Amino acid sequence: MKATCRRICDLLAQYADGTLSAAEHGEVQRHLEACPPCRVIAGKESGGRQLLRACADRLRAGEVPPTLRSRCQELSRRSAASHVWSRRFVRLAAAAVLIIFTGSLLSVVTRHSDALLAAQLTADHVKCFALFGPEDGRTLDAAQAQQMLQERFGMDVHVPPSSASGGLELVNARRCLYADGRIPHLMYQANGQDISLFVLEGESRPPAEFTSLGHHTRIWSRGDRTFVLITPASEAPVAAAARYVAEEAR
Amino acid sequence: MFGRPSSAPSSADDFSAEALQFLEPLFATAMRLTRNRADAEDLVQDTYVKAFRHSGQFKRGTNLRAWLYTILHNTWRNRRRDASRDAVDVDSEQVEQLAAGGVGGEQIETPERILMRSTLDADLQAALDSLPEAFRESVWLRDVEEFSYAEIAEMLNVPIGTVMSRISRGRRMLYEKLSPAAPVPAQAAGGRR
Repeated sequence: MKATCRRICDLLAQYADGTLSAAEHGEVQRHLEACPPCRVIAGKESGGRQLLRACADRLRAGEVPPTLRSRCQELSRRSAASHVWSRRFVRLAAAAVLIIFTGSLLSVVTRHSDALLAAQLTADHVKCFALFGPEDGRTLDAAQAQQMLQERFGMDVHVPPSSASGGLELVNARRCLYADGRIPHLMYQANGQDISLFVLEGESRPPAEFTSLGHHTRIWSRGDRTFVLITPASEAPVAAAARYVAEEAR
Repeated sequence: MFGRPSSAPSSADDFSAEALQFLEPLFATAMRLTRNRADAEDLVQDTYVKAFRHSGQFKRGTNLRAWLYTILHNTWRNRRRDASRDAVDVDSEQVEQLAAGGVGGEQIETPERILMRSTLDADLQAALDSLPEAFRESVWLRDVEEFSYAEIAEMLNVPIGTVMSRISRGRRMLYEKLSPAAPVPAQAAGGRR
């Protein structure tokens, strides 16, 4: 085979596909007109593609055995379930790291430090959403949550209810295990982001804000109650919801 | 009303549902690769096991179909290598040159006449199955599945030039198998698009 023929043959796949540049296409065409052996090769190449393209839909439409389909669907279900668990595991691991971190801080910082309080409650926020997050889409009625906190833990606290305008939903109410279990922990979600409000009875602190460990913490007091609001560090998607909770807290 | 992760489908659910849409073409491709129904089923199942396990590595917004085909071909290649069964040396000079010779003065049937055959589908499947694997998979991915040369090169882990040459020779071999000693000269029909 001549060098020119070899070069032309290298272009035949694209020639049959119609993906050559105009100049190359013209070059191949002129060569084929003058070279019968290459014309035969090109005819076979284009013919092979034409046949496959004409029958592609039928060739591709092989019937999938029902058992294979159901096995793959089962794999898909198991995979989705394991993703939920792996997400929980990551959040639990993060919580564990935070708890160890804050525990180590305890030895060097006084218990009245705002920074320590923020770190402690951020750890509790992450841990509680990992363990008691609303995986089943359940929401909580604020009045019932308030009654439950009163009856089970003797906590007299106002629970800001879910708010359509703030895009906020009350998803859980718990007793925070820090400070001898005296702190109510109100758990919310807005736009898929986790928000916590902690209420400390009998404490008054000057307003303070911290951004650390991927969270934003705001501390303020009304009378002899201190409130701690924890939101994601990038607060924009939950800004309206956070404002609402802060205003409602009392 | 509220955007909640628990009520909206999770990204893992989205990925699974989208991946399962390609079950049929993946199975058809697996059938062409393995030429055996039971092996094709195993291959597709393994492909989905790996896809779901490594879904985190898939970059959202890129071509999921091409990603799944890459897994399918890698799985098939590894299985062949491990089993050393019915081995086809896809890169040997001998295989690459199988279709290179014997072109002088040949005459072949036109595609139009071949398309008139009532047994075409069965003939075409048989002709495809008889191609060496290296040619069969390249031609299938290009002309049936319509992947680009670059996508095929990535899936098969070979240079683009090799992909083109395999496609070229695979098409010719296929055509020769369907057009034995036909009397009509071919019209070289290169299209533009």
